[in-house]
Amino acid sequence: MAADVRRWPETLLAWCASALSVVALSTGCTSAASHSKYFGKVSPPEGQQLRYISGSEPESLDPQVSSGQPEARIFLALFDGLTEMHPVTSQPIPSMAERWESLRENTEFVFHLRPDLQWSNGEPITAEDFVYSMRRGLQPEFAARCAYMAYDIQYAQAYNESGVFAQDRTTGAFVPDPEHPSYRLVLPGDPKKREAALADPALAAARGKTYVPVRAEDVGVTAIDARTLSITLMRPIPFLPGLVAHQFFRPVPRAAVERYADQWTRPEHIVTSGAFTLKEWQPYDRIVVVRNPRFWDAARVKLERITFYPLEDTTTMMNLYKAGAVDAVYNHVPPAAWVDQLRGYADYMDTPEVAIEYYMFNTLHAPVNDVRVRKAFNMAIDKAALARYRRTQKPNTSFTPEGIFPGYPRPSGDPFDPARARALLASAGYANAAGEFDASRFPMKDVELTYNTTESNRQVAEFVQAQWKQNLGLTVPIKNMEWKTFLATRAALDYRGMSRAGWVGDYMDPYTFLALFSTPTGDNGTGWFDRRYVALLEAANHERDPGKRYQKLAEAETMMLDVQPVIPLTTQATNWMRKPYVKGMYPNPQTLHAWKFVYIEHDESKWDENPQPVID
Amino acid sequence: MLSFLVRRLIITVPMVLVVVSLTWGLVRLAPGNFYTGERAIPPAIVENLRQKYGLDRPWYVQYGKMMANTARGDFGTSLKYLGQPVNEILRHSVPVSATLGLLAYALALVVGIVSGTLAALRQNSRLDYSSMAAAMVGISIPNFVLGPLLVMVFSLTLFWLPPARWEGFSLNLVMPVITLAAVYMAYIARLTRSGMLEVLRSNYIRTARAKGLSDRQVLIRHALRGGLLPVVSFSGPALAYLITGTVVVERIFALPGLGNYFINANLNRDEPLIIGIVAFTSIAILLFNLAVDVAYGFIDPRVRY
Repeated sequence: MAADVRRWPETLLAWCASALSVVALSTGCTSAASHSKYFGKVSPPEGQQLRYISGSEPESLDPQVSSGQPEARIFLALFDGLTEMHPVTSQPIPSMAERWESLRENTEFVFHLRPDLQWSNGEPITAEDFVYSMRRGLQPEFAARCAYMAYDIQYAQAYNESGVFAQDRTTGAFVPDPEHPSYRLVLPGDPKKREAALADPALAAARGKTYVPVRAEDVGVTAIDARTLSITLMRPIPFLPGLVAHQFFRPVPRAAVERYADQWTRPEHIVTSGAFTLKEWQPYDRIVVVRNPRFWDAARVKLERITFYPLEDTTTMMNLYKAGAVDAVYNHVPPAAWVDQLRGYADYMDTPEVAIEYYMFNTLHAPVNDVRVRKAFNMAIDKAALARYRRTQKPNTSFTPEGIFPGYPRPSGDPFDPARARALLASAGYANAAGEFDASRFPMKDVELTYNTTESNRQVAEFVQAQWKQNLGLTVPIKNMEWKTFLATRAALDYRGMSRAGWVGDYMDPYTFLALFSTPTGDNGTGWFDRRYVALLEAANHERDPGKRYQKLAEAETMMLDVQPVIPLTTQATNWMRKPYVKGMYPNPQTLHAWKFVYIEHDESKWDENPQPVID
Repeated sequence: MLSFLVRRLIITVPMVLVVVSLTWGLVRLAPGNFYTGERAIPPAIVENLRQKYGLDRPWYVQYGKMMANTARGDFGTSLKYLGQPVNEILRHSVPVSATLGLLAYALALVVGIVSGTLAALRQNSRLDYSSMAAAMVGISIPNFVLGPLLVMVFSLTLFWLPPARWEGFSLNLVMPVITLAAVYMAYIARLTRSGMLEVLRSNYIRTARAKGLSDRQVLIRHALRGGLLPVVSFSGPALAYLITGTVVVERIFALPGLGNYFINANLNRDEPLIIGIVAFTSIAILLFNLAVDVAYGFIDPRVRY
């Protein structure tokens, strides 16, 4: 014991020394990093190659199987579409289709393919390849998760759901749909469900007929000739050219798919149509693609090779970027706490994003089934303050994001107004004898705010909770849930009060946001569903004039905001980085980059220039 | 000895099957499914998926199929990484985790045993105190602090070492191995020191010295053998843990080992992959424990089977 006490100072000294060295080293780091105009080490890789962090490990390299963004970033290198996304605006530009026209009030589109389109193995790409691929994606046994992307194509949904047509035995005529007589009636394939459906008196004409399964050939995608593709729709879809840039519509090579089944995407079997072809795929490690000389626009492609790194940890990604081991990272990699510092660097990429964050109300349950209560909760949040707190976002009081759809007369929604919020709650019955709002009368046990567990969701929930406390005197409990549990709870409307939501647009049109409320189930999540709203959306899509169409969509948005099934919070901004020598990779609303425009600029004097893409 | 081995190996089989069954049950109890994602999927597509993967069959049929697969050692295809057999994922990722784990453990053993032994031999000396202080630091600093600290110094300030990623046997392994080894090094040093201190005071060491053996012989032939027993019992579970994937270090250094799959398989409700990894891990733990018990028989003359 005595010995220990005597030696104690030595140990203490050793401790202090090690602690000091740690402190010295860490302060050394911060001062060394803050000089440059760019973040971290800037040394271009040799030749024309790009090293890009693409997000989690892709589920599959089959474009009709994977629905996610990490895969989409890679598909843009491997598979070409009828249209491609503009590198700056994300609007559709001609790609395999050199032009297209819309017929019959946007219910039919004809795409004209370029001559001499080839797969990477030299086989020609024809309109038949598109027909095959879309039928494949819709096949029920194939069970593609994003098959619903194509549900607006004629009988696509019926085929994917294994539906049947009702056919008259003697005449061979199909029973028409009473609601849309120009289309055939589709009934459930399952006999029991069909019986139930036929109980509806409106469908009396379909009873006792022969029920023929909807076949792949019934789907409204046809090859008029080798270079002409026609797509007929169930409803008018003016944004179809943008939609077909989605991976689900990019064609797959029939011969390879049929020969190798689910192994066709392996590097030794794969055949691609894009600017690059697959060379190597090491799960959780790297995906290497190299230039495809048979790509129709190969003359434009400057990069010889892209290495995609699938990674999970954002700090690690930033470390790799800072150390100069990668040239660019995907969207939202920089942690929120770094953004203030990173924004000062020239390689930080910041632009409005086609994404929103909002809270849903469970409109089926009291007290938020009262529109006055919903409006009060909405008006009691200072969204400008929230956006400042969130750093990479803009406040949003309407539903669609700001600054992305030029010419769209976006409604303004209700402003921040705590006094009016309290008055609304008072008028909803939560008032004292004097008629003023009384927080103690509000049924707090029926309201809580549910979110899925992430650090940033917690921060927002706490911020909003504080706003409600401050402006309404209500302390709404916040509750976090594991992701999949949360999704199940929300979809079943099993939450009380409010629940977190976010939406990233699938294509560059306000409809991608407004359509969330066009079905009572699915991603709606609020329980609010109004046929008049759906009719208004449909009327807008029938409109040939884009300006008038936008006007009608905005009317629908106003109608929805009046009912307030959601609390709009913020519009996101992109938040990613690329080294100054990476050119042709622009900040765009979807942060999806058509890789054929990207190249490495080795001339240091041109690093600060921002050449705009030339699109013919 | 042989009958002991056979008995233990036979017990391993039902134990793994019980673990796998429990895991299967827990996966089924967890809300959500492999196909639930941010976007809601129309019910018809859910129906297509359920048919494709046999989820529409009664639970005992599904359970039976899973158990039959497990018994054959073929866990089927991942539900998340389509077209990738679970066995292939294990084949890719286990070598990475094992390389990392074995290197880290070798480093921990060498440094830990040497410093622990020296500390015990020179008890209460400056050497003893400083190495035990270092061990204390090693135990107290979690790897998610040590890893980024090393990265900050050696990759982002000095630019000596790559900050992350797997490149086979290369400089990329230096920091992950050190990060992973630190805690084990510290534990082993402390275990060795206390084990050696106890042994060095025991009668048989006094006997050995009385016989006239040199210090070196006493230490290596007699003392270490007894003094390292605690290290040996610690090694079984530690090694099993290390080679089946060390989630935090693999994530910090972006290594394509089992750790990432382990986390993601659970988050994705990727049942075949979860079952495969759980079965592999439990077999590894059972075998390493068995190896420790066998090793005891050789090292400790008091243990007989």
